[in-house]
Order: sequence, then C-alpha cells, then structure tokens
Amino acid sequence: MALSDTLLLLLIGVSAVLIGVLVFRPDVTRTRRGKILAFCVLFLLPLVCAGMGTSYQIERSKRTEFCLSCHEMEPYGKSLRVDDPTYLAAAHFQNHRVPAEIACYTCHTNYAMFGGFRAKMHGLKHVYVHYLRTPPAPEAIRLYDPYNNRECLHCHEGARSFEEGAVHNADPNLLPAAKSNRMSCLSSGCHQVVHNVAELQKVKLWKVAQ
Amino acid sequence: MKLSAQPLEQRLRFAGILIILGLLIEAICVLWTRPIAFLVFVGFVGALFAAGILYYLYSLVSADTGSSN
Repeated sequence: MALSDTLLLLLIGVSAVLIGVLVFRPDVTRTRRGKILAFCVLFLLPLVCAGMGTSYQIERSKRTEFCLSCHEMEPYGKSLRVDDPTYLAAAHFQNHRVPAEIACYTCHTNYAMFGGFRAKMHGLKHVYVHYLRTPPAPEAIRLYDPYNNRECLHCHEGARSFEEGAVHNADPNLLPAAKSNRMSCLSSGCHQVVHNVAELQKVKLWKVAQ
Repeated sequence: MKLSAQPLEQRLRFAGILIILGLLIEAICVLWTRPIAFLVFVGFVGALFAAGILYYLYSLVSADTGSSN
C-alpha cells in the first residue's frame, strides 16, 4: 500500500473516531470546547477528507494500470510491450519518453486550457459506457478528435532530436507544417503505427526486464 | 435552554452519522481499485458529506433561532 493510501486512510480513521465521539456523546457540545470540536469534526475535517479524497482519486485515475483495468483496454496495454520501434506508443513507453506509470494520460490528455478537465469528462463517459452500455471492440475504439500535434510538441518541440532530425529537415516545409498542425505527425506516413491493436497477434512482445 | 439543546444534539448525531457513512465509503473507494470507485466516490461520498455538513450548519442556525425566540 502506497504512503498516500495509508495517510488518507489514517485521516479517514481519525475523523471517523472523532465524529464517533460526538455521535455517542453529543452532550460534549454543551461546553465551548465541545462546540469547537463539533465544528472541526463535522465541518472542517469532512472538507479536508473530501478534498484529499478527490485529489487522490483524480491522481489514481491518471495511472496506466487504472486505464488498463477495463478489459477493452487490455490490447492497448499489450501494444505498449510490442518489440518493434516503429510502434509509436511502445517506443515511448519502453524508452520512458513518457512516465511509464501515467503513460496513457500523458499522451491522451489535452495540453490546452481545461485539458485535464476534458480528459476527466471523457473518462467518466468511458466508465458509463463500460458499465451501462455495450463497449465497442478494442480495434473499433476511435479518438474523439484527430490527434493534435500539440500533444506531441508539448515534449518534442525544442528538443534537438526533433528540431535537427534528418528526416524532419529533409523538406523545409515539414517542421512548420507539423508545428502548425497542418500535417499530422501520425497520419503523414511518418509515425502512423501507434497502437495497431488489430494486428497484435502477429507481433513479438518485449519481455520486460525484471 | 435545555429543551432546545436536546434536539440540537440529536441533529448533531444525525449529521455525524451521515459523515461517518461518507467516510466509510471513501475508505472503501481508496481500497477498491476499479474505475467505478471514482464514480461511487463522487456520487455517494460527495452527497453524504454535503448532506452531513449542511445538516450540521442547519442545526446550528435552527438552534440559534430557537433560543432567540
């Protein structure tokens, strides 16, 4: 159990015990100290618990294992271990170009204003579809919008390998077009193999070093 | 004064029970690592905390009104 889990559970436990004192001995609120205690445990502590709990749940929902805990996402998790550097998601995951523990979120959040909020709204919709509707087959899952180069450029822009790469500079119009999102990094014939879950049976998987 | 203190204590007790229920569900959501835990947290824990806190504040306001009357 992680430290954050333990601390949150400890806070919940302490709060529950203090509130329990008020529930079983409400007469303690007849004194001034009792009134202050009641204000702290019935108003301040629940607010702190709710705030910490919300923060904890939001942070947990960014984790790779959280995304992959739905069976529809299993092939996407498997695609991160494809032993082929042309698989964009696998190359990023295996070489830690994205933090492995929040790999899905790092690429699939939106780096514009309210991007995190929009990602959470999409996530809530996914949970709704998962539990209350018929989820699509993994290979039929599509992005809501075409992938925006902004998400790639968030990390790659300014990086030497990106700015001075031979292929990126072979055509002088290529980098400006990519930076202004007129030419997609993914569908331009350069990095078009991303997850490719429909053909996972045909590829070799990387055995993660223990 | 004593007559109004009794219902106030009952209300505090009820507010406390609502919040304890919220805390219990929050603890379950921490230990339950499924995406639905997020929804349960937002829906149930949020509602129970809000109800408990608002009921506590209401009990204070109504107790004050009772004593001034």
